Amino acid sequence: MSGSLAASGLSVRYETPHGSVQALRHVDIEAHPGEVIGIVGESGCGKSTLVTALANLLPANACIDGSIRYNGVDLTKLDAHRQRLLRGDEIALVGQDPMTAFNPVLTIGDQLVDFQHHRKDLSRAQKRARIAAMLGRVGIADAERRMQSYPHELSGGMRQRVAIAAALLTDPGLLIADEPTTALDVTMEAQIIHLLRELRREYNGIIIVVSHHLGVIAELCDRVYVMYAGEVVEGGEVDAIFHDPRHPYTQALLACDPARFHDRLDRLPTIPGSLPSLTQPPPGCVYAPRCDRAFAPCGSIAPPLTRLTACHAARCHAVTP
Amino acid sequence: MPCRPLPRGDAMSPLLAVEDLSVSFVRGSLLDRLINPFPLPGFNVVDGVTLSLMPAETLGLVGESGSGKTTLARTILGLIRAAAGRIVFEGREVATPSDFRAMRRRSAMMFQDPVASLSPRLRVGTLLTEPQVIQGLPMPDRRAAAKALLALVGLPASFVDRFPHELSGGQARRVGVARALAMKPHLLLADEPTAGLDVSVQGDVLNLIGELKRELGFAAMIVTHNLAMIRHVSDRLAIMYLGRLVETGPTQEVFSAPLHPYTATLIRSEPFPDPRRRSHNPAVTGEIPSVFRRPAGCEFHTRCPLVQSRCKTEAPVYRPMGAGRMVRCHFPLQTGGQEREAVLRASANQRGN
Repeated sequence: MSGSLAASGLSVRYETPHGSVQALRHVDIEAHPGEVIGIVGESGCGKSTLVTALANLLPANACIDGSIRYNGVDLTKLDAHRQRLLRGDEIALVGQDPMTAFNPVLTIGDQLVDFQHHRKDLSRAQKRARIAAMLGRVGIADAERRMQSYPHELSGGMRQRVAIAAALLTDPGLLIADEPTTALDVTMEAQIIHLLRELRREYNGIIIVVSHHLGVIAELCDRVYVMYAGEVVEGGEVDAIFHDPRHPYTQALLACDPARFHDRLDRLPTIPGSLPSLTQPPPGCVYAPRCDRAFAPCGSIAPPLTRLTACHAARCHAVTP
Repeated sequence: MPCRPLPRGDAMSPLLAVEDLSVSFVRGSLLDRLINPFPLPGFNVVDGVTLSLMPAETLGLVGESGSGKTTLARTILGLIRAAAGRIVFEGREVATPSDFRAMRRRSAMMFQDPVASLSPRLRVGTLLTEPQVIQGLPMPDRRAAAKALLALVGLPASFVDRFPHELSGGQARRVGVARALAMKPHLLLADEPTAGLDVSVQGDVLNLIGELKRELGFAAMIVTHNLAMIRHVSDRLAIMYLGRLVETGPTQEVFSAPLHPYTATLIRSEPFPDPRRRSHNPAVTGEIPSVFRRPAGCEFHTRCPLVQSRCKTEAPVYRPMGAGRMVRCHFPLQTGGQEREAVLRASANQRGN
C-alpha cells in the first residue's frame, strides 16, 4: 500500500540547555508514489532532522509544529504504538553507515527474518524464502549461503545491499535512504546507484534520497529540495534545479562542485562566510549574510516561497516568476 | 649512522624518490608467531612502488579504500617500517630512524581526521608550536609564533586560546595546515585533506594549500579518493590498486586519455552532477579483492571489463608509455576517447546481460 506524503509548515525545535535550536523551519515538501525525491544540502542544513521527523524517530527534546500527512493520516498526531506499527511496515530507512546497521552477533538471515515480524501470516520458512529472493534481487549471488554469514563477513558494499533488501522486505510505501553511498568507494557507489535505479522500476512507493553529493542526486532523483540552515530554499524538477537554479544558494552550491569543471581551475569556487546560528536565526533571509545579491529587505523580512512554475519554487526576494 | 650522500643530479633531481617500496603486514597474533616455527609469509599491503616527486610539484595519490595509499604515505615518513625498497629524500637515502627524524624536520604530514589529530587537552596555540619545541628550535615568543601561523592560514589570532572541540571541521583543517607548515617543510603529505568537508569548505582548504604552496614553494603529495577534486589541484597523478601503482602520468592527460582500464572505470564511476548526463551502466562490477587473496596474473583481471586470457596468468610489468606516463597493463587503452568509451560501455553491457 502506498500513498502520498506531504509535510506542511513543518518546524522542529530542539530544547537544549543553551536555548532552543530551530533545526527546521516552515518546511513544505510533498511526494507521490513512484517518485524519487532528493534532499540536498550541506552539513547542518537540517536534512537529517527532516528524515528523522518523517520516520518519527526524533529525540525526546524535540518539539514539532506543522503536519506530516502520509496517506491521509497526520503522523505527528499518532500515539507511540501506532507510530511503531507504521515504522516497521510502511516506512523503512536505509542508513548511512552499513557497518552499524546490523547486529554483529546474529546472522544476516536471522536478522532479516526479524525485520518481517509484522507479517504474522508467513511461516519462518516462507520468510526465509522471501529473503533469499530479495537478496537475489539486490544483486547478492549465493543468497542462501550469505544468509548464514555474520555482518562482519560482508564488505561495505554488500552490507549496504543487504540493508536495502531489509528495507524492501516490509514492502514499505516510503523508503528513506539517508546518505546511502557516502561510506562507499566510487566504484561501489556507482553500483548502488544503479541498483536503486533498477529497483524503482518495480517499486511503486516513494523513495527519498538524502545526500550532500550533487552527483548522486542528479543520477537518481525526479524532484529535488535544496536545504539551507533548516529551511527548504528551493524545490523543483531535477532538471530545473541543475540547469535553471534560481536561489542564490543553489547557484553557489552548484558552482562549488569541482566535478562540474573539466579544465583545471587555479582557484576552486567557495561560498564565503559560515552557516548562521540556529539558536538565533537571522530575522530576514537565512542566506542573506552570505548572499552576494542581498538588498534592503533581505536583512529584515523573511522571503516568502515564490512559485516560479507549477512545481519549481524558491524562497528568495530576488526571484520573480 | 650518518646519512649516506648519493650522487646529486642536476637542478631537476627529485625531492623525493621511492624505489621498489614494499610494506608487509604479518598475519596472526604474537602468540601464533612465537609457537609457529614456520611463520606465515607477510602480505604486501604496498608492493613494489616506485615514485618520484619534483620540488614544488603536487602529486595526487588516488585509490579506493584498501589500496594501500595511506600506508604508502605513512611509510614514506617512517611511521610504518618498509619491508623492502628505498626512500631517497633531497638526494640522501633515508633508512635509519635517525634519518627519518632528520627527514621529518623538513617534511610534514596532515592526517586524515582533522579533529582527532589535534590533542583535545591542548589549546590551539600550544598545538601549533609543538613541532618547533619537539625539534628544539629556538622560539623567543611562543604565543607570537602561534599567532603568526594562524594569520598564515587566515584564522583570527584569538584562536590561540581555543580547544580543538571549539573548532568547526574547516577550521580544524586550517589548524592542521598551519601545524604542518610550522617547520617550513619542503614536502607536505596530506592524507584525505578534504574528507568529511562540505563542498563549499573543501575549496577553501584546497585554495589555502595552493596559495601557501606558491608562496612557500613546498612539494605536496595528496592522498585521496576524490577524483573531482584532485583533478584541479594536482600536476601528476598516481593510481593505486591493491598496493601497486597501476598508472602514473600528468593529471590532465590521465583524465583525458586513461591508459589503464582501472583508471578509466574510476573516472567513469564518478557520478556527474547533471541529470541530462546520467550513466546507464556501472563501469565496473564487484569489489576490490583482499590483499590476502591477491588474484593471480594482473590483480585487476577479476573486475576488468576488457579482460583477456593472458591477464589471468601473467602479471603485467609496470612500463613507460610515452612522455612521463607509466602503466601496468598488458593491453593499455590506446584508442581515441570516443572509441575507448564505446569499448568500455559495450563490455559493461555484455557483462550486465
